[in-house]
Amino acid sequence: MAYHSFLLEPISCHAWNKDRTQIALCPNNHEVHIYHKDGAKWTKVHELKEHNGQVTGIDWAPESNRLVTCGTDRNAYVWTLKGNVWKPTLVILRINRAARCVKWSPKENKFAVGSGSRLISICYFEQENDWWVCKHIKKPIRSTVLSLDWHPNNVLLAAGSCDFKCRIFSAYIKEVEERPSPTPWGSKMPFGELMFESSSSCGWVHSICFSASGARVAWVSHDSTLCLADANRKMAVASLCTETLPLLAVTFITENSLVAAGHDCYSMLFTYEESQGALTFGGKLDVPKQSSQRGLTARERFQNLDKKASSDTTNATLDTLHKNSIRHVTGGQISVLAGGKANCSQFCTTGMDGGMSIWDVKSLESALKDLKIK
Amino acid sequence: GDALRALHTAMRGSPAGARSQAVKEQAQGTMLKVLTSFKSSEIEQAVNSLDRNGIDLLMKYIYKGFEKPTENSSAILLQWHEKALAAGGLGSIVRVLTARKTV
Repeated sequence: MAYHSFLLEPISCHAWNKDRTQIALCPNNHEVHIYHKDGAKWTKVHELKEHNGQVTGIDWAPESNRLVTCGTDRNAYVWTLKGNVWKPTLVILRINRAARCVKWSPKENKFAVGSGSRLISICYFEQENDWWVCKHIKKPIRSTVLSLDWHPNNVLLAAGSCDFKCRIFSAYIKEVEERPSPTPWGSKMPFGELMFESSSSCGWVHSICFSASGARVAWVSHDSTLCLADANRKMAVASLCTETLPLLAVTFITENSLVAAGHDCYSMLFTYEESQGALTFGGKLDVPKQSSQRGLTARERFQNLDKKASSDTTNATLDTLHKNSIRHVTGGQISVLAGGKANCSQFCTTGMDGGMSIWDVKSLESALKDLKIK
Repeated sequence: GDALRALHTAMRGSPAGARSQAVKEQAQGTMLKVLTSFKSSEIEQAVNSLDRNGIDLLMKYIYKGFEKPTENSSAILLQWHEKALAAGGLGSIVRVLTARKTV
């Protein structure tokens, strides 16, 4: 696996291009920087400056090679590469609060923006007027939409929100697509239809992800739980209370395995057992510890007892690869080694320590002996 | 034996999320009595007898106990806290903070 420290500031969000040679990221300011990979080196090739507020979401459409960014300035821009310059096109989202997350649909003819205005803006391109228009999904969202993920059928959209719920909506736009065929989530899908809503967990839903087939949706929330809803089991929800600090990002790497990461600064593997409808913790995915135990003098022991009410020898520095919370996990949609959410072979994490790591699933499997990825 | 049974009974009858503050306070008092009646050596075994939801519920009561300390309660509660933390991890404390149905 490879770790690259891009910056000293946190990386707010990132997106990869189709062949994984370039990464677009926001260095915690109003800009988007694009880095190009040259062997083992990363060089900055573009700086996209258009937003007037922090960029909170970036998504890179693999086929059409367009970027969409959204920010706290309540705007979104679609960027197209003209020659060697990225040209922005403003998209009016008609929101009065910051935009929080953005995702291209699988066919790249629409994108969805979640915002603090308690609604989702579904944007599509109107040919006659040559501009992007948007429609709103409002009901019954009661708070900021923190995360979005599209179903592979290009119509259903999962949204995680600060009102503690995960919901699946239909984002069917008749102007740009055919009527969708029935899915395990339902057959009638007019725009804005609520197909599924989770019962309240107790935490903001930080991240949400459909499995490759779209039959399952998983989310992580701030009460340190991971939940999964299975449409093939009548939308039954399996949940797991983790022993860690809250997770901030989750993705499927096979139909039954998930990788999640968060405030504990390391990624974890989880497995879903369909027959029992249960989620289990599969193991920690990080550099194996090689700490040596050094003896404590009696004086140090008493100092520890006094300061920390414990006398064991673990030290205070982090033993994980990332030194600060991991904010984003992206599993390659079409990664360099032919992965995708069905059979991911590489995934990438970026964190508030300004670093990015690329994890190779096969080497993790061999390095961490008890790991089983189903 | 008795203390363990009392713990499980108190947990089962816990009015988490109840509207009446009086009911909750009574339950808190009962739980505190049960927790303080344990010998230090028995605590670990008691914690291990609980499932994941039980540990989360125990953690909620431990913190409620910290809120209103009596003469000797904090010391025994700290011992309970150490064992519950070992079993439930930081996640169980996070769930005390984010819980909407309080005890």
